[in-house]
Amino acid sequence: MPDPVIALHAVKKNYQDVPILDIPQLELPKGIYWLQGENGAGKTTCMKVMAGLIPFKGEILLQGNVSSRQHPVQFRRLINYAEAEPLYPSFLTGRDLLELYLNTKGGDREAVRDISDSMGVDIYVNNPVSSYSSGMLKKLSLLLAFTGNPALILLDEPLITIDTRALTVLYDLIRTYSAKGVSFCITSHQALDAEELTVTGTLKVAHKNITLS
Amino acid sequence: MRTTSAILSKIFTQRFYIQNTGFFLVLFYLLFGVVNGANLVAYHKALMLGFLGNYSFLLLVMLLWTSYALKCVGFILKTFQLQGYDFLFPTLGSVSKPARIRLWLLLHTAIYMPVLVYAGIALIIAIQHQYYVPAALIVVLNMANCVWPLRLYERKLAQPDVLFFTSHLQRWLNRHFTKPPVLFFLYELLTNFPRRIVSTKLFSAGVLWLTFLIMERGEYFDLRGLQIGVMVSVMIHMQLMVHHRAFDDTYLHFMENLPIRLAGHYARLIGVYLIMFLPEMIMITVNAYTKTPIGGLITVFCTALSLLILFRCLLYFPKMNPEIHVRYTMLTSFIVLFMILGHYEWPAILLLQAASAIIFFKKYRSYEPYIPPES
Repeated sequence: MPDPVIALHAVKKNYQDVPILDIPQLELPKGIYWLQGENGAGKTTCMKVMAGLIPFKGEILLQGNVSSRQHPVQFRRLINYAEAEPLYPSFLTGRDLLELYLNTKGGDREAVRDISDSMGVDIYVNNPVSSYSSGMLKKLSLLLAFTGNPALILLDEPLITIDTRALTVLYDLIRTYSAKGVSFCITSHQALDAEELTVTGTLKVAHKNITLS
Repeated sequence: MRTTSAILSKIFTQRFYIQNTGFFLVLFYLLFGVVNGANLVAYHKALMLGFLGNYSFLLLVMLLWTSYALKCVGFILKTFQLQGYDFLFPTLGSVSKPARIRLWLLLHTAIYMPVLVYAGIALIIAIQHQYYVPAALIVVLNMANCVWPLRLYERKLAQPDVLFFTSHLQRWLNRHFTKPPVLFFLYELLTNFPRRIVSTKLFSAGVLWLTFLIMERGEYFDLRGLQIGVMVSVMIHMQLMVHHRAFDDTYLHFMENLPIRLAGHYARLIGVYLIMFLPEMIMITVNAYTKTPIGGLITVFCTALSLLILFRCLLYFPKMNPEIHVRYTMLTSFIVLFMILGHYEWPAILLLQAASAIIFFKKYRSYEPYIPPES
């Protein structure tokens, strides 16, 4: 069996004294996963833990050998995350953020520019984010998730607030990147369109654990 | 039934005078409070004759009047940007253009009135003393200051997304200049909390000015005295550090997903405080470069930066609230004070740097905002 794209070992996360996640073991081969769970089940916390945004106990390995603890920089190169409700400093422009991501995560600038054009982000990229609507902000955060050379992209509620054209582009992007070997973990309360995406597996967050079915 | 102008007056004029009460109190004190009441009229007449008879002085006065006009324009335009004031666009947009121009003129002249009153009196004095050219200049300038803003208000109404008249420059900058992360917090302060940074910097400059004044009056210069002044100046920055942590917690969460080394994050932190303390460093250099060798200045700057960085790093302890932070910074300052008095400046700097680095590298990745448990 090939190395899993991501493996969680004894991952625990508490908020103060309240345990939110307690995942003894989870290994995911390459693919597209739909992460499901009720409100407050810990989906977003799980994604933030995987993305290295919040501290946790335990260890996460990417591609079998990149450790969240021993290789924090390499780890962050391989995993991208788009938040459900992105929030950025009001004075930054989309271009400021895009340049920051491209300068740190690297990747093909031309490809990112094409995605920006197809999503319609290029129209407002030079404006400060304070002038963006929630949909515009969401599109920008999705665009940022496709920068660099990630092995795994985490998309938190990507289907909400964006327009139908952007949604078509997003499905197309997921298919294209998946064909190149990039894995996806997507949370959504709405069902993913079966005609647009073939889901490898469904992950269920419940009772602080994640199970793959 | 209230007229449109009365409602708009409540929205703009009354709010302007209420918000600027402090400004007008200071202004009135400077203009009328510093002179003996019996000589007040003679003083102002002399002042007016002074600028009427000297074109350089008149230019300065006209610049001051125009800067006040800019303040008025900024206030009206910013009101349109405020949350909850969106209704101004559809309502004022529905008024016919001539009526709307009259409304703009009424609102603008109402808040520009202090200048109009003073300029009006100066005009009468100018005519009485046959200063016809300065009188004409005063009339033209004040008419212009009442008319040109109306065009901006009209433009704002037609283009709600255009901010003030720096928009072209701002847009040009946004297209051609990428803000580096080291400037994020400074942008935040300058764009969203200008009063906070300006007041901090004014107090800090005041402390340094007082330090130099005391040493000058005593006709001595002691580097240790300057360092004590600098320590107080650093402590004035503490409210900015707490704000810095809140800003990072709220808005820069996304940066944790970026592949940046810890040393990179630490360098950014040092950069933020180096840039923030730059005005004080310039002020110190200008006032002290003839009195102390360059090594002395470097010692002072290193002490200040080391303290700033350590005080910020202390906030990586999640439970460090502002009250506890003050206690620790005071304790640190006392220790450093005695080390400075004993001429142990560099050991103090090294200790501060070591403590900052240890806290940062140990705490940065594991830090998350503390949420106090509900009682």
